[in-house]
Amino acid sequence: MGLSSIFGGGAPSQQKEATTSAKTTSNPIANELKNQIAQELAVANATELVNKISENCFEKCLTSPYSSRNDPCIDQCLAKYMRSWNVISKAYISRIQNASASGEI
Amino acid sequence: MSSLSTSDLASLDDTSKKEIATFLEGENSKQKVQMSIHQFTNICFKKCVDSVNNPDLSSQEEHCLSNCVNRFLDTNIRIVNGLQNSR
Repeated sequence: MGLSSIFGGGAPSQQKEATTSAKTTSNPIANELKNQIAQELAVANATELVNKISENCFEKCLTSPYSSRNDPCIDQCLAKYMRSWNVISKAYISRIQNASASGEI
Repeated sequence: MSSLSTSDLASLDDTSKKEIATFLEGENSKQKVQMSIHQFTNICFKKCVDSVNNPDLSSQEEHCLSNCVNRFLDTNIRIVNGLQNSR
């Protein structure tokens, strides 16, 4: 629950759509099932994001022999990675949209 | 989060089942896009971001990131075409 709420906060519009579209069903069981699926996906996305950021920021902020920590660097790196994620997401989605508009895909 | 029992799931009518199948299809393709974005960010952040002294992206870094995705996709398309032609 914690992870998905973190991710939900900074999530792109897609993720929000997933949670809202999960509520349009008439059958409450189907609704619940959809919500659980959306929830699991949000957790999977958050986990992936945490892993990738840890890997990248560990690499950028810490050096051998790892005798001291570098928290300010980690915090800035985290912010920078999230911003990069958004830039990449915009570039990728507009590329997909252009390709589908021109009939490439 | 309350969890669903198997009897709950068995009681689903055909309309709901279809609805869930459509929902899954949509979520699946969205998830594929998400995972690609994770992959591209991982690759391009390594290549485009040198200093992490500042939480903001410079305009240079921003350009590099979006060029990086586009060139990666160009490469991907070219590889697929190349493999298709060599068959």
